[in-house]
Amino acid sequence: MKVTNQDVLQMARLSKLYIDESELDELTEAMSQIISFADTINAAASDNCDFDNINQLSNVLREDTVIPSYPREEILSNAESQDDGYFLVKKRS
Amino acid sequence: MIKGTIKTINELLSTKQLSCVELTQQYLDAIARHNDTLNAYVKVTPELALSSAKKIDEKIAAGIPLGPLAGVPMTLKDNISTKGIETTCCSKMLENYVPIYDATVWELLQNQGAVLLGKTNMDEFAMGSTCETSYFGGAKNPHNTGCVAGGSSGGGASAVGGNLAAFALGSDTGGSIRQPASFCGVVGFKPTYGSVSRYGLIAFASSFDQIGPITTTVEDAAMVFDAISLKDAHDSTSQGCDPTVPYLGDSLKGRTVGVIKEYFEGIGDDINDAVHKAIQVYRSLGAEVKEFSMPEIHYGLPVYYILACAEASSNLGRYDGIRYGYKVPHYNDINEMICRTRSEGFGEEVKHRILLGTYVLSAGYYDAFYKKAQSVRGKIVASFEEIFRSCDFIVAPTVPMTAFESGHKQQSATENYLTDICTVPVNIAGLPAISVPCGFDKGGMPIGLQIIGQRFDEATVLNAAYQYEAMTRENAFKVVEMGVRP
Repeated sequence: MKVTNQDVLQMARLSKLYIDESELDELTEAMSQIISFADTINAAASDNCDFDNINQLSNVLREDTVIPSYPREEILSNAESQDDGYFLVKKRS
Repeated sequence: MIKGTIKTINELLSTKQLSCVELTQQYLDAIARHNDTLNAYVKVTPELALSSAKKIDEKIAAGIPLGPLAGVPMTLKDNISTKGIETTCCSKMLENYVPIYDATVWELLQNQGAVLLGKTNMDEFAMGSTCETSYFGGAKNPHNTGCVAGGSSGGGASAVGGNLAAFALGSDTGGSIRQPASFCGVVGFKPTYGSVSRYGLIAFASSFDQIGPITTTVEDAAMVFDAISLKDAHDSTSQGCDPTVPYLGDSLKGRTVGVIKEYFEGIGDDINDAVHKAIQVYRSLGAEVKEFSMPEIHYGLPVYYILACAEASSNLGRYDGIRYGYKVPHYNDINEMICRTRSEGFGEEVKHRILLGTYVLSAGYYDAFYKKAQSVRGKIVASFEEIFRSCDFIVAPTVPMTAFESGHKQQSATENYLTDICTVPVNIAGLPAISVPCGFDKGGMPIGLQIIGQRFDEATVLNAAYQYEAMTRENAFKVVEMGVRP
């Protein structure tokens, strides 16, 4: 299955990834191989067998009780930028 | 008694032939000697290990009765969250990430008194079959350090195979426990989807991921499994599982072993011979052997890669540089910040899989790929159910080849995917399966026998492996002369 440079750039845009111009041809070739490999599935007999989940699970429900959360400073401790108890996202650096 | 097992360690500690601190120090010394070669550990935690060991010694001295995992030095794959200890998924993206909570499995093991030696190497975000996509370089095979350990839980298999830990926990999404266990000559057990809580396991593909043990013997695998297989309110897919250790040793007389012929297509001669010898062992134990055909197995790899990558593309959407993980220092706007953070933080294989996952979920391709793969997944589930109506467990090779040289240049972007061909069907159907050593190829590298069971029938799988191991251990297992074997 043929994948074009445009296809790869579109997937990258949706995935929020940048593709370097110098890598594009090589990446398109790799994606062509991977998608051709995935496409072999379309040779399987198509009888629309339904599949939802493995163990016939249904929703697990509980009372909506309020329990203490993790301390705010601990949650923030892994963020590169924080300010006044909030995650900080600057418009520009 | 087999050296270096949980049972021997229990015996040494309870009879006070060795203190837990002495034992732990032996392992730490062995890691210091051999980890440069094996690269099994990406983080060693000596202070924590020795302080946990000291507490166990105090309990032993006070005569407090202890469980079977108390004082046993072990390791966790680096995608299992450990409060206060870096958990990196072996990615630049999470290089400095320190979880603020423990994974349920680690909480359960801590309560049992297990001693954490450190965190082990893996393919980046568990995406790979060689451990070589790790940001920290791949783990090496203790049977030949020029060869790969396999993946993605390569570090855990290398550590247990090289006697640098008594056991390890890994995770298996498409074979990531069983395949490296096969390559490194150890036991690797992937439980039923839902037997073990995934809470605190950093997600790759949520409908496939499952945590399980890597051990020296089948009995050890059963003991660790029993300790971690509990229903957990933090994981709504977890159901727990009944204890398996009491069933080890049950007779296999009159039980039926299934052999699916498609599993043997294209596998190496030495592997074919070893697995067929194993089938003979089951006959000698009084089991009946029945042959089956399951053509859908041919679609196992594409179904797996479509669905696992689709789930991964969604799961890995959370890495945006804002709340945790890598973040680029300079940027002009928020979109650029997120895109550059992800482009610089993820490695090549991870990006390939995110792109594939995005492709199969995008408008125009969803029906032909994602929906089709879900439908074939349903057929694979149904085919296994049909086969299990007339057999108790299935035997197959774990991997079609043995461990190959590190740095092998792939001929195509999908070449390494082929190592998973015998392991992915189990994850697609959520079944329990184990890899147990079953001999060596002509070059002396270990071969793995895979035993597959029905959902939540881990007791049959572990007992079948246990019986096989008891009959063959002397020929199928080779002691590696490194590390410690107390």
